[in-house]
Amino acid sequence: MKETKRSFIMVVLAWITSLFLVSLVGAYYYVEFQKEKSANTVYVGMYNDLLKNYTSLLQSYTELLNDYDSLVQGYETERQNLTRLLQQYESCVMRVNICIDYGNGTILWYNQTIVPLGYNLLQATRMVAQVNSTYWPAYQASFVDAINGVWNKGAYYWMWYYWDKESKTWKYGDCGADLYILSDGETVRWRYEIPNYG
Amino acid sequence: MAALCIGIQLTPRPPNVEFTSLICFLTGFLFGALFGALLGALTMFINGFLSSWGFAGIIMPFQMLGMALMGFAGGFYRKTLGRNSNVLESLNFESACLAAFLTLLYDIITNAGYAIFFNLPIIAVLIAGVWFSIIHVVSNTVLFGAAFHRLVKIVGSLVGESL
Repeated sequence: MKETKRSFIMVVLAWITSLFLVSLVGAYYYVEFQKEKSANTVYVGMYNDLLKNYTSLLQSYTELLNDYDSLVQGYETERQNLTRLLQQYESCVMRVNICIDYGNGTILWYNQTIVPLGYNLLQATRMVAQVNSTYWPAYQASFVDAINGVWNKGAYYWMWYYWDKESKTWKYGDCGADLYILSDGETVRWRYEIPNYG
Repeated sequence: MAALCIGIQLTPRPPNVEFTSLICFLTGFLFGALFGALLGALTMFINGFLSSWGFAGIIMPFQMLGMALMGFAGGFYRKTLGRNSNVLESLNFESACLAAFLTLLYDIITNAGYAIFFNLPIIAVLIAGVWFSIIHVVSNTVLFGAAFHRLVKIVGSLVGESL
């Protein structure tokens, strides 16, 4: 009888143990479930926000794409217009290279400067620099007094040259700048110096 | 005995599968509750410093208490058996049941210690460690059920004592 009672107590202890462990396992899964549930709520919220952002982004993208398309169309139209204009323009312009040598080591080149056909040197120079000049009726020509704020001073004057393609040398201009009509592809130079006519 | 327990404790093994409980329970069973309890406490004290999981720290007193309880239960169990040799037939089954309960008690004590020192809810700590507890309880139940009876007979014959 005593043995049976002891065995019964042992069984009860084992049963309590297993019950306790099973309860803990149940609680473990409940806690995990709650964790997953709250995580799920967070993820659903995040997903909804993401979806909203994505939808608005998609709309913005579509609008942007439409704007881009219209911009491309506008660009294409403008390009065609400009191409046409350029073709017309090409027939009445020329390109010249203008050099301004300040005599102190500073030499500025304005290559391929587009000027209208028939422009003289003075007009072309005014397109790339600020020029002060005086018209002398006696010579029926203009005399350049200053370029870009550098004035004729003492023995120093602004003199101009043209590039002689045949001799491949610079040659002094032999008339006033406003009397010298440029030709397409010509290269000219202004130089601040003490004139040497020799 | 303590050296044997520590040696086994320090041997690489799956987490929460241990032989110390069996040895302490057996010692208490064969040599008395006090001796079993002292062995359990001493083993866990030394194990606290040498364990491959690192210094046990604040959990150590609880481990000592839990293992002392295991040794003490061995002695107490012996007393409930008396001198009746017929009981040996059911020793495997009863020791397995007792091992399950005592192991659970050990886990509750150590987890409670952890929870108290880290100011955590005890139930949360127990829930978090439930799989370790299950491994511990199941392994000890199987171990006691399979080995306790044989060990009692072997050690009993060595020391010239019969149940």
